[in-house]
Amino acid sequence: MLLADASVSSLGNTLAILLGIACLLPLCGFLIEIFAGYWSDRLSKTPALMAVGCIGGGFACSLLALILWGNATCWTALKADEHGAAHHSVRDDSAETQLALADEELHADEHSSAGADDHHAFHPEVEHHVASEEGHDDHAAEGLVPAHAVFSGTIYRLAKFGNLDITVDYYIDSLTLVMFVMVTFIATCIHIFAIGYMSEELTHEYVDHAVHMSDGHHLHRPGRFYRFFAYMSLFCFSMLGLVYSGSIFLVFVFWELVGICSYLLIGFYVERKSANVAANKAFIMNRVGDFGFLIGLMILWTSFGTFRFAEEIDDHGQAHAGLFHMVRGDKGLMRVSSETGDVVMWGEHEETLLDENDQPRTIPYYLLVIAGLGIFAGCVGKSAQFPLQTWLPDAMEGPTPVSALVHSATMVAAGVYLAGRFFPMFTTDVLLVIAYTGCITLFVAATIAIVATDIKRVLAYSTISQLGYMMLAIGVGGWGAGLFHLITHAFFKSLMFLASGSVIFGCHHEQEMPKMGGLWRKMPITALTMLVGVIAIAGLAIPVTIMGARIAFSGYHSKDAIVATALAFTEANSMHFLLFLTPLVTAGITAFYMFRLWFYTFAGDPRDKHVYDHAHETPKVMTIPLLVLSLFAAGCAIGGEEGVLYRLLSNSEPVGVAAGRMSGAGGISLPSHEAIHLVHAQAGTWALIVAVLGAFLAYVFYGARWVNPTEVGQSFPRLYRFLVEKWQFDALYDAMFVRPVRIIAGWFVVFDRVVLDGFLHAAASSVVHISKWDRRFDESIIDGFVNLMASVTFGIGRSFKKVQTGMLRQYITFIALGVLALFVLMLSFFPN
Amino acid sequence: MNGGQVLFGIFALLTCGGAVAVALTQNVVRMAFWLIVSLGSASGLFFLLNADFVGATQLLIYVGGTVVLLIFGVMLTTSGPLLKIPSSPGELIQSAVVGVLFISMFFFTVWSVDWEHVANTARVHDSTTDTVALQNDTTGRPIGMAFLGVRPDRDLGAAEGQPLSTGYFLPFEIVSMHLLVVLIGAAYLARAKRQITTAESRSEVV
Amino acid sequence: MEGVDLKLFLLVGAVLFVCGVICMTSKRNGIGVLIGVELVLNAANLNFVAFSRYTPLGLDGQIMALFVIVLAAAEAAVALAIALNFYNNHLTIDVDRADELRG
Repeated sequence: MLLADASVSSLGNTLAILLGIACLLPLCGFLIEIFAGYWSDRLSKTPALMAVGCIGGGFACSLLALILWGNATCWTALKADEHGAAHHSVRDDSAETQLALADEELHADEHSSAGADDHHAFHPEVEHHVASEEGHDDHAAEGLVPAHAVFSGTIYRLAKFGNLDITVDYYIDSLTLVMFVMVTFIATCIHIFAIGYMSEELTHEYVDHAVHMSDGHHLHRPGRFYRFFAYMSLFCFSMLGLVYSGSIFLVFVFWELVGICSYLLIGFYVERKSANVAANKAFIMNRVGDFGFLIGLMILWTSFGTFRFAEEIDDHGQAHAGLFHMVRGDKGLMRVSSETGDVVMWGEHEETLLDENDQPRTIPYYLLVIAGLGIFAGCVGKSAQFPLQTWLPDAMEGPTPVSALVHSATMVAAGVYLAGRFFPMFTTDVLLVIAYTGCITLFVAATIAIVATDIKRVLAYSTISQLGYMMLAIGVGGWGAGLFHLITHAFFKSLMFLASGSVIFGCHHEQEMPKMGGLWRKMPITALTMLVGVIAIAGLAIPVTIMGARIAFSGYHSKDAIVATALAFTEANSMHFLLFLTPLVTAGITAFYMFRLWFYTFAGDPRDKHVYDHAHETPKVMTIPLLVLSLFAAGCAIGGEEGVLYRLLSNSEPVGVAAGRMSGAGGISLPSHEAIHLVHAQAGTWALIVAVLGAFLAYVFYGARWVNPTEVGQSFPRLYRFLVEKWQFDALYDAMFVRPVRIIAGWFVVFDRVVLDGFLHAAASSVVHISKWDRRFDESIIDGFVNLMASVTFGIGRSFKKVQTGMLRQYITFIALGVLALFVLMLSFFPN
Repeated sequence: MNGGQVLFGIFALLTCGGAVAVALTQNVVRMAFWLIVSLGSASGLFFLLNADFVGATQLLIYVGGTVVLLIFGVMLTTSGPLLKIPSSPGELIQSAVVGVLFISMFFFTVWSVDWEHVANTARVHDSTTDTVALQNDTTGRPIGMAFLGVRPDRDLGAAEGQPLSTGYFLPFEIVSMHLLVVLIGAAYLARAKRQITTAESRSEVV
Repeated sequence: MEGVDLKLFLLVGAVLFVCGVICMTSKRNGIGVLIGVELVLNAANLNFVAFSRYTPLGLDGQIMALFVIVLAAAEAAVALAIALNFYNNHLTIDVDRADELRG
């Protein structure tokens, strides 16, 4: 047991240090790059190499951390499923009375998890308790760490305001590890790619053809190579810090850092008005979401008194439950008081948490809903969900590597990550909102993507759509499916963005697909890797199973999981059938527009001779990351839900998800793993059929060009225009917010000019008049008095001047007369 | 009318007459002469008042020293023989008026004060001893002792336990220093200016 | 000394004093002014000595007179030096010529 404690705490410390280094390396890189880069000449590639080194070092640390973690858990995470069926079956009845029994059984046959099925911070005492009771401590004696253990702790206390502790915490579980490895790996690839893509900035005299000066010339400015990489490093630091942090407050801090980094990078070409506007738009849209986030934070603190995810051990060795534990307890159950409807909080040892008056601490149910919605509002802003999705396509104004980073590993991933991380705090009502938000988003974005012609914009809309899938998955209880899709999507979307960047670079910054075509002859590597990405996102697969798994690229597995979860959910709650139909249909649309993109760009005959003639394959520094990423995009999810990646992730799954026990009030039941498993094959088949249909349609329209898409578009002009105008969202927001604000601002201008300015002017002029009077008073009375005194003194002195004759004898006479006068005076006053 | 009264009358007349003559004479040398007469007879009055040391000093320093100094001054500052710098009659009248007023003031005062009363009320110690000392002895020795800080004229025969009277040792020293400084200063004043004037005249010549 | 009153000495002193004042106010010659000063000082001396004889002042009066004599001598020396300087500057001893301090 002691051995187990020691190994657990030392493993936790090691992981915290390793991931901390991985997180801080980019920050150091940023500091060095931004200052050294500013002072050095602008022709050096050193900043880029340093940035790559930093993020690569981060990747090495993360990978090392993952391997250490795996070794410590004997990789039980990967072979855990042989008894999965057992506890699925037990958990399925989900009756509270049988929970204890269920847990006993679970311990009896679950060798991997000697330390109870708590998702919260791993606590040696708990393990001790369980192990001695059950007598199954053989793994514990070997020093085995349960795979779903959470390592958490406090690094540094920033401030303490009353009960509010602002601390730098970490929270490490398998999700954190996987996110670290994914983010650092993808960021490394993107950094390397960016060395090639941004090489045009390696000059003292960069000519920006998109900016026209007033004298008719293009803008000339110094290259900003170093700055780009410094921002990228900062971006990576922010994202890693967000994943690393163990309290919602610290998450918020890094959340904002991610926001400002995206602002800097989207607006990298600051001289372009469009880039400026896009950066502002992204930032302001995020502010809207962050407003909700702040409200959520306030509610959480006032109700729970802590920001920590995991439990905290205070200075007296007393353990205080974290947020998740308070709400969900050990069994993942939310207890709603039948009398008041409030949610009763769990204490550290499965008791009811009491306040100072020994009353159970509770939080009103509606407050928990609002808090969850507030946090989710932040996620909506960050992950570009409906209705805050419009900033993401505009963010394409940034350089393509930035788009790749924003769309895969960092910015938008942050929202989904937080929604996943915060899953235990969401009630079913909130989850339903999340699900419908994702559902609307994925459909809207996918339909817009059909008609978009800018290659990067198509990808941007596909990102929004895929993020909608993830949100939908989380909303319908498919926690693992959502985050699974997050990881796979990160790989293939970064691949596709880099490929599109390669196309843009090869075509000399031509982004319009109608001017491309047939490019696979000019840039075969790019075309091939892009095809991998397209197949992955479209979710194509060969409909045979080998060794129990379909042969398919990553996107198939993750999307399959989502659709299956949605189907299971719909079966349990039939009134929400749209939550299954929409993603299914959209799977087809996804396949359609992705293949449309590929065919448009690479297949067929060239549409624009000029572009085609000058196109060329990009240098190796750009194609090698593409190849590496394509490998991962194809294979990272191999095995599907029995595969490595999903297993790793599912160890962090909030307890109770697997059994569908998350169901709280509201009459909505979430599907259990078992239920999902039952419909998996069915859903997978449907999704595959739809996807193949979509791909085939795309071939019909754009590959073989049997049907002219323009004619189709013209036959539905209204619909076409509606889609081209992005469902009129920008116009809607313009009418709803921008114009009213302008009108009100106009009123304020008038008010300012007439009332405030008038008042100020009146005040000013009255002050001037008063001053004039005051001046007169000063000059006549005060100065007059002073002058009078002076002149009187002067006159007296002048009159006495006559007496001073300078005649010695006269003075003596005066003295004598004075003595006489004194004598006479004395006599007259004192006669005796 | 005893001998003392006669002597007093003679010395008083000489003193006053000399002084009036000084005031009336226009010639500086004569003024100096009459001054000698006046001061000399004043020393006679001092002798009459039993102040033999003061009278001797008066003769030595005033008549022998100061007046000689004044005569030197006359000689050094007179550009011609028998020089007169006459005053105007108006000034003389003015001076006379002032003088008459003054003397009437003094006469009034002297006559109106009851000097016996003053002498009796101001008595601060037993006057029998010092009156004996003043009348029967010369004053040179007690004055010298007083300058050295010892007052036998007062403390001899004084009651037991009475505090000793103060002497004039410190003022004596101060006056000594004062005299030295004055002599140096006078010598300097008389010398330095002359040098400067010669320098100025030279520069004017050049 | 019988028969001679204190008042008589004081009157003699008064005459001396007034003659000194008249000298100072009427003489244009600087040396004459000095002589007037000497007369005034001597009048004071006479009074001091008379008081030492007729009042309990005692020897203190005579000592004061001695101090006055000494200071008068010093004053005479300095005044003579001033007179010499005056003469050097104005080539005369007429004090009316020294009106540089006129207002």
